[in-house]
Amino acid sequence: MNGTNLDVNVHHITRVEGHGNIHVKVREGNVEKVLWEVPEAPRFFEAMVVGRSYKELHHITSRICGICSIGHTLSSVKATEAAMDIEISEQDALLRRIAIHAENLQSHVLHVGYLVLPDLAGVGSVIPLVDSHPEEVKTVIRLHRLANDMSDLICGRTTHPQRIIPGGFSKIPTMDELYQLKDDLAGSVDDLKAVAGVVKSLAGAIPDFTRETEYIGLVADDEFALYDGDIGSTVAGRIDDQDYLEFVHEFIVPHSTAKHAKNAMDSYFAGALARVNLNYDKLSPLAKTVAGMFDLGPEICYNPYMNSIAQLVEVVHSVEDTIGLIDKIDARGLEPQSPYHSPDIDVKAGQGVGVVEVPRGILIHDYTYDSNGLCTKANCVIPTNQNHANIQLDLEKLVPQFMDVGDAKMELLCEMLVRAYDPCISCSTHFTKVIWDRK
Amino acid sequence: MKVISKGDFTSFVNGMIQDGSSKVVGVKEKGNAFAFGDLGTADELRLDYDVTLLPPKKYFFPQRETLLRFDRTNDSAQSVVDVEPMVIIGVHPYDIAALQQMDAVFAESNADPYYMKKREAAVIIGMNAVNTSEWNFAASMGAESVSDGYDIMLTDLGGSYAVEVGSSKGENLLLTHGAALREANGEEQAACSSYSAPVGKSLDFDAAAIPALLRAHYGNEAFWEEHSEKCLKCGSCVLVCPTCYCFDVKDEADLDLKGGERYRTWDGCLIEDFASVASGENFRGTKAARYRHRYNKKGDYLNERFGFTACVGCGRCSSQCLPDIADPVKVFNDLWAVADTKPQAIESTPAEISPGEEYSFVPRNATVVNKTAMGTTEMVLELKLDDGSELGHQPGQFVEVSAFGIGEAPISVSSSPTHRGTFELCVRKIGNVTTKLHALEVGDKVGIRGPFGVGFDTEFFKGKNLLFIAGGLGLAPLRSFFNFVLDNRADYADVKILYGCKVPGEMLFGNEVADWDARDDIDHRMTVDSCTEEDTWEGNVGVITTLIPGVDIDAEDTYCIVVGPPIMYRFVIKSLKEKGVPDDKIIVSLERRMKCGVGKCGHCQMNGIYVCQEGPVFNYADIKDVPEALE
Amino acid sequence: MSKPRVAIFDFAGCEGDELQIVNLEESLLGLLGHVEVVTFREAMKERTDDYDIAIVEGSCTRPEDEEKLKHIRECASIVIAIGSCAAIGGINSLKNHLDPAWYRAEVYGDKADWFDTYKARPISAVIPIEAAVPGCPIDRDEFLHVVKTLLLGRTPDIPNYPICVECKKNENVCAFDRGEVCVGPVTRAGCNSCCVNEGTKCWGCRGLIDDPEKNAHMEVLEAHGLTPDEVIKNFQTYFGWEGDQ
Repeated sequence: MNGTNLDVNVHHITRVEGHGNIHVKVREGNVEKVLWEVPEAPRFFEAMVVGRSYKELHHITSRICGICSIGHTLSSVKATEAAMDIEISEQDALLRRIAIHAENLQSHVLHVGYLVLPDLAGVGSVIPLVDSHPEEVKTVIRLHRLANDMSDLICGRTTHPQRIIPGGFSKIPTMDELYQLKDDLAGSVDDLKAVAGVVKSLAGAIPDFTRETEYIGLVADDEFALYDGDIGSTVAGRIDDQDYLEFVHEFIVPHSTAKHAKNAMDSYFAGALARVNLNYDKLSPLAKTVAGMFDLGPEICYNPYMNSIAQLVEVVHSVEDTIGLIDKIDARGLEPQSPYHSPDIDVKAGQGVGVVEVPRGILIHDYTYDSNGLCTKANCVIPTNQNHANIQLDLEKLVPQFMDVGDAKMELLCEMLVRAYDPCISCSTHFTKVIWDRK
Repeated sequence: MKVISKGDFTSFVNGMIQDGSSKVVGVKEKGNAFAFGDLGTADELRLDYDVTLLPPKKYFFPQRETLLRFDRTNDSAQSVVDVEPMVIIGVHPYDIAALQQMDAVFAESNADPYYMKKREAAVIIGMNAVNTSEWNFAASMGAESVSDGYDIMLTDLGGSYAVEVGSSKGENLLLTHGAALREANGEEQAACSSYSAPVGKSLDFDAAAIPALLRAHYGNEAFWEEHSEKCLKCGSCVLVCPTCYCFDVKDEADLDLKGGERYRTWDGCLIEDFASVASGENFRGTKAARYRHRYNKKGDYLNERFGFTACVGCGRCSSQCLPDIADPVKVFNDLWAVADTKPQAIESTPAEISPGEEYSFVPRNATVVNKTAMGTTEMVLELKLDDGSELGHQPGQFVEVSAFGIGEAPISVSSSPTHRGTFELCVRKIGNVTTKLHALEVGDKVGIRGPFGVGFDTEFFKGKNLLFIAGGLGLAPLRSFFNFVLDNRADYADVKILYGCKVPGEMLFGNEVADWDARDDIDHRMTVDSCTEEDTWEGNVGVITTLIPGVDIDAEDTYCIVVGPPIMYRFVIKSLKEKGVPDDKIIVSLERRMKCGVGKCGHCQMNGIYVCQEGPVFNYADIKDVPEALE
Repeated sequence: MSKPRVAIFDFAGCEGDELQIVNLEESLLGLLGHVEVVTFREAMKERTDDYDIAIVEGSCTRPEDEEKLKHIRECASIVIAIGSCAAIGGINSLKNHLDPAWYRAEVYGDKADWFDTYKARPISAVIPIEAAVPGCPIDRDEFLHVVKTLLLGRTPDIPNYPICVECKKNENVCAFDRGEVCVGPVTRAGCNSCCVNEGTKCWGCRGLIDDPEKNAHMEVLEAHGLTPDEVIKNFQTYFGWEGDQ
């Protein structure tokens, strides 16, 4: 290793949402610089919502991220509902769970199918795979379209949903539409197995790398928590979601300007791998089978590259769990409502927190309203921002460990690591600019 | 009269739904309102509704409707008439009256198969209104009840419906689905005949006075400006109207860019760009003018054309207007209040319309046999119809030229009918279609519909003195007639032509203009608005009106044929009148937004006149009192 | 003829519009029959300056992005702005009416000076463009329409009438008749009134029509009980940049 020089400068890492740069500098076997930098333009959402009505907040904050817009909307309406003590119906809670599954499916299929598979197959994008693996690509497209149809049906749109509003839904699907969705989901199981098979066949390309860290995500006693639950940690137990600040410690890194987050350790991991690590036993049966194909089990997996596999497992879980949710709605009897439903809301002053799991991890919106229902303070904690510190520490361990693989391979390993987090850097409510100086 | 219990009616409706041979639609709740929609079960029916958001015309004239499927690889197109048998339940009398008006509009002259076939395949089950909206004034418009136009009519008698059969279609439907009808007893008969429709509001005067009232106040600019000041130009009032039928036509290519569809979609005269043409000219550019047009079209123009006022008093426009300025009752009552002399009510009877020949909008193919660039932005395309036939046009008529996937554009034929085998179009590059036409090569194909409209009556002008006046691109349509005259020179008396363009470089048909010099049987004068030394222009410099005083004509006995840009007419006509030319000796050809070409889509209308049908060539005496013509 | 080469870029925005392109699913494969995607950071590793058509998402929110946009303009013969942020300034321009010192401090506290930002603006405020597809997010059918029409050599039909036209065709119950307010009467149509169809209202994401009847609409809003401040907020959600022009 002595004498090794490496220069990796990945400007605008590709196949991630948002802009990120990686800088690695190794001289004579000494790691001089490992830098994960996010130059995304700041957008100031937390300031832009001040003074706006509770009726508008979810619409505005949905625009934080086009990829997780359903999650942002859900987190937002939950925060508003918590602030004003608004109860939603059990039916709405079931439909919202389907909404979050829709987004998880949409995002995970996109990530695993369009963004990660090319890495494992050694090509630059999904486009060459259209010719080399036409059937596999069509399978991924079919699943992705199903996820989008599901979003359309429950949320009224694939991106920036309309139907999810404080107090419930403006419009809900008919039972016939839900039956159709159930049939489509049941019919997708073969496609799921096929995709799992393809990923398995390429799984040898997943780097063998581990680093012990803390995993944080929603946990619940009776379900694989995505929509609701306490905030759980693999090392620090669980807390009520309204008390998120006990776990999410934002801090300033020396020589850096960015807000980062940590809890019990120097950094933590949020996302599919955290959820699977925390809630493995609540996964659906087929999801457990797929997890088993990749040696994911009840014990904690510390390989960040396995996050993509955890996403694949969640895809299967979301399909199976949605079928169960539709059955529950059916068993209760779907309560119809106006296609322009506007819940009665008793506007009052208060503060509330909405926490959901979005594809990239735990998402927190925290609003304070005055007595007119106007927002006076907002805080949005985005999964990707929570992961920045973990990405940096992973890179710092990764670079020395694989130092002799050469510039190109190192670049790929670094990129694949960042992509494994599926970072959604455009969610820059907090602008995160990371500058480490290790000279 | 028959009666059916409400329970049996429900069974009858469910029987039709289960039978499935026809789509069954009826009035259902939609939020806090009502709408016609597919019935899954009779329980969804809300026959106690007040008014639906949209009238049932949407089933016969859908919001978006495919007219043609085209194939760009072989420039072919086929009409798509999409018809599904249908039973519509619960149509109020005013909406039935509106459908009868639509029937006349779509049957007149070029009968519209897209509308008519759907209409034929539908059974209308009417329903005398139980409730009404606060805006409804159907009673004032004589549309609160109807004596025909339905196949079955229901009247609510509490626990049952009185059933009147209006057609054999209705009778068959009742029979086929075993409706449990019984004869009405005396009490039921009495209840039915004492039915009176609920009323929301009323006109202060007899609706038969509306046409005269509108005419008397057409020029009351202050009234129209004041009433339209808050108009959002959102088009809501016309889009929800059961008697509005204006539409736009657009092309959408498939993703393979080979196939595609030409479709029509609802348009409305209150929308700002409704009367705009590719050059940017908007022939109804102010809110007041658009607003006035709506009331006049409904209250006067269509009355003149069809013998009915195209308003049935449903009140939808009023209820959907956010600034609350679209209520016909308020507008008509306000007009009535300001009228110093109250016009007479004149009863009109609906005209008998026997359906014209069906017109499906499918173009004929023509092939480019020659193309010649001309002026700065013009191209002359010589086209030959692929079926070998002559275009068969009259000078001054126009055709709709199609480039599939791009659209259609109206273009005047600029060759004379004496020119056989092919025809010529002089195309100015100004929009999408014309840009595409400029890019065509010899051998490429276009679609041609038409010729349309009224051109120059070559027979009528025989033996007459003629003065042609062309400005700019106006020479293109004029040339069709002028060359006809030259080819039949002996048939016409004194012939002169004045031609002006902006700069010498914009002169069209320069080779032919040069030939005019060589002829001693015509007199011609040329002018340009301006020129530079490099132009080596030796002729007159000045706008075309500067030529008129000097031209030697027998003013009393010369027909002056004027074609040019909109701005030109007012000045040329003024000069001609100063010279002593009587109004009825001035012939003009007017540009408008011709979209359908067959008098349906409404875009080319100037006041009550469909320019695509009754024009574009007009005798000035006939249109000088048509305010929108030369405004 | 070789296929036009397409490059896709993003500036300040949520990337929801690029996601709509990915969401075209099978239609995207159809589109790839006509064009070659050569740069698309969100979906592919390759990148190049050799392209014919640039598709740009996101607003320009800081001076340094102007240089990147100018470079894109030099490379491309056709630039298409997609999404509200790129087409009209979008939700980013909400901050245009806030005090910069305040909003920077609100989000970044005493580190506010580190961040460079100015009024959010559409791409067309920085470079000339050939077409804009507004919408938050873009309507997939409209995006396909724009690409198809440009490939056919015609200008796309981006409506110049308000949302009300589509809302009426879709037979919606007007938001104003449900106790809501809506900016549909001044907002450019083309989305098929998608938000109202889903039971809500028009928020204005496609921007203003040419020459909107803003005063008449403000009177309507006030007549429905909005305070002048609420009227302004309704207009600022998406019209922040356009409204200032």
